[in-house]
This record gives sequence, structure tokens and C-alpha cells, in this order.
Amino acid sequence: MPVTRQLLRPVSITFILLTFAIALLINLLPWQASVANFAPDFVAMMVVYWTLNQPRRIGIATAFLLGIVMDVGDGNVLGQHALAYTVMAYLTLSRQRLIAVFPFWQQALVALGLLTLGQTLMVLIQLALGNNFVGWAYFVGNVLAAVLWAPLCNLMLSHQRKPVVVNL
Amino acid sequence: MQSNQPAFFKQGPKPLTRLLVFAMLSLALVIGDARYSMLGRVREQISVLLYPLQWLATAPFKAIRTGNDFLTRQADLQAENRQLHDAQLVARANEMKLKALETENTYLRGLTAAQASQPRASQLTEVLYNGRDPFSAKLIVDRGDKQGVHAGQIAIDSRGVVGQVVRVQPLTSEVRLLSDRNHMVPVEVERTQMRTVVYGMGRQQLLEIHNLAPNVDIQVGDMLHTSGIDGIYPAGLPVAKVVKVDRQATSFARILCEPLAEVDKHRFLLLLDAPGGRPAYPVEETASAPATKPKRGR
Repeated sequence: MPVTRQLLRPVSITFILLTFAIALLINLLPWQASVANFAPDFVAMMVVYWTLNQPRRIGIATAFLLGIVMDVGDGNVLGQHALAYTVMAYLTLSRQRLIAVFPFWQQALVALGLLTLGQTLMVLIQLALGNNFVGWAYFVGNVLAAVLWAPLCNLMLSHQRKPVVVNL
Repeated sequence: MQSNQPAFFKQGPKPLTRLLVFAMLSLALVIGDARYSMLGRVREQISVLLYPLQWLATAPFKAIRTGNDFLTRQADLQAENRQLHDAQLVARANEMKLKALETENTYLRGLTAAQASQPRASQLTEVLYNGRDPFSAKLIVDRGDKQGVHAGQIAIDSRGVVGQVVRVQPLTSEVRLLSDRNHMVPVEVERTQMRTVVYGMGRQQLLEIHNLAPNVDIQVGDMLHTSGIDGIYPAGLPVAKVVKVDRQATSFARILCEPLAEVDKHRFLLLLDAPGGRPAYPVEETASAPATKPKRGR
């Protein structure tokens, strides 16, 4: 069920920060290199998720900061992830009211589009810096991210859902 | 839901403004970092913040490994011990020979004042993780400025050269792998003593030797080791093995090599100290001193 049709408990900022920390943690796991392209970018998913569900709190600035942190973690050129996340957060915000009422499978498609766009930006930056294109497999992780979107949303919402009380 | 209510009150700049501000900022960072590399301090600060997460990401694996080690059976230990003992004997014998050779070599080199293959101090580090971005072939290791690592050190594993330390942060540092695009290593073909340069072509790709004539004397299976002429890589470290030679491709031979070090697999790396410094370049006002050192990362 989409987020807006339910009465949810308010979410604390600590919880949001915790989810970002966990996403970063997953992105930094040492096996990331062996599964390389198949691992979805969890930080990007979290950025889209929270911008969608808490647009008052999480927005472009947060996305930018997380992007910088990812760049340092990866040893990349600074600003690559930052730009991608910023644009993703903006596009999410601009259609937030619409997307937030979509069912999860449609949101997953939107997320797929956004993540792909973000990665395209990163590819463009790298091409501009003189690197080679790394092949289409680079985008495979996004498909996986889209598949994981609904379970992830349910998992995140389980924290906010009220326990069902049967009142007669 | 509260977060979806329309905003009647002022909430700061519009999203579009914010997008423009942050996008410009990102682009400025990209340019500042890639072209002028002037953001070292920022990077250092952020990397310190990130260190707990980096540590946490590797901690469970370390714990599992330690647990496994603890539970190893005694029989296994004994067998391993015996094996190591034998290996040590062999190594001892080799070492004695090596010592003699090294002394002789030091003496001879001392005569010619060339410092290329002197033994150097080294430092053991553990790989924290392998950056997930397919564009850069880099490893993050768990020693940094605080432990005396500095840029320009060479990382090797038990089989050969892995790469070079290019960026040092307070607690971690980045090793640029051989396979990173346009990473050059001056090498020597072991069989023919021919000197050349091997180039990286991107993560998880083979290395390539450029610009050699089609009739060059190089064969599949030839070993390449560092020649030491750049003053950064010490001479004689194994680097790669030739796996393919295509003499028909273009007007140059296309020679592909496979790194000997298991660039994406190892856990521990040895960082060799950078050379003790070459004699100062003769200062001449008229001649602009050419940059002899190869490019050190970006």
C-alpha cells in the first residue's frame, strides 16, 4: 500500500541518519569489488527513498553531502557522486507529491530511472575526464535496486507502522 | 501525512535554486579535484569521519577469520607447522645466498652510485576494501599518515607489484592499482633485458605495452619485472606476464600482459619505502628541468 494511505508514526531524524549510515556501510563492504556492477548503490536508494517520504527534512543538501562522502570512500574525483545524488534528489522533489502516492512497483520504476540517470551523469563526468566507458554492465545494479525497492520500502515502513489494534 | 501538507510558510530557497547551487558546487569540486587537485585537506577531514564506518565494514569479516583461526584443529596446525618449517629451511638457504649477493650488489652499486635496487624498509598493511566505482582501480588500505605511509610508496604482494600509494589520509591511504587506466610502470623483459613501459587499461583488464614494432622479440610467457629506471619502482620486482602478442593488429604490435599480483584478491600488502631520493637535479637557469618522473596518479 502506498505510503500516503496509511497513518504512520513520525520518523525520528536519528532513524534517518542510521539508515544512511547502514547504506554507507553496505556500500563500503569489502566484497563490493567482487560483485562490482551487480551491487545496487544503497546510498542512492536511500537518498531517493527519504527525499520521497520526508521531503521537508531530506533534500538536495543531504544528497550532496552524502555524495561527497561516497566520493571520498571510493577514492574518486570529488563531486562525482555529489552531482548525481543532487540531481536525483531534485527530480524526486519536483514530482514528490505524485510519486509518493504511487504503488511500490511504480515507485520502483521511477527509482530505476533516477538511479540510471545518476549513473549516466557519473559516466559523463568520467568520460569528460578522459576515462573509457566501462560497459553496459555498469547499469545492472540499478535493475537489482528496482527489484529490491518494494521489500526495502516495506522494511523501512515497518518501523513507522502502528501495531494493528482491533477495536470493536 | 504531515510531510505531504502544502507549505504555507517560508522554507528557504526553492528546490531549483538549491539544485543549481549544489550542482555548480559539485562541478566546481570535480574540476578543482581533477584538474588542480587542491582538495586534499577536505578529503582528509571527510576520510577521518568515514573511518569508523570503514572499520565497521571490515570488522565482522576479521572477527570470522580470527574465530576460524582459533578453531583450527591441532592436526592441521601440526601439518602446517611442519610444512612451514621445511619452507623456512629452504628460504634460509636461499637467504644466505641472497645475503651474499646483496652485499656484493650493494658494493658494486656503491661503486657506480646507483641506488636503484637497494633493499628498502617496508610496512605491512591490510586491504580495507576495494572501491566500488568501476572507473577507478583503487584499493583502500588501513595505514595512513599517522603510521608513516606517504605517497609514492610501492605496494607489493607475495607475487609481484600491486600498485602505488597515491593519496594518503590520516588513517587510511589509497593504492592505485597497476590496472588503473594510464598507470605506467617501467619494466624490463626478463628474457631479453629489453626495457619498455607497461600501461594499465582499466579495472580488471589486462595491461598493455604500447608502441613496439611488430617484429619485436617478445613472446607469450615472457616475464616482465621493474627496471628501476624511473626512481620510483625499485628494480627487479615481478610485474606481469605476457599473455598475448598480436603482430597483425596495426603498425604496432599489440602486447597484452597479465599482472602477476592477484590485484583483486589479496588481503595483505607490503608497502615499500620510496627511494631514498636521487641526487638533486643540477640547477641550470637556462634549461627548464624536464619532468623525469612518471605521472603519479591524478
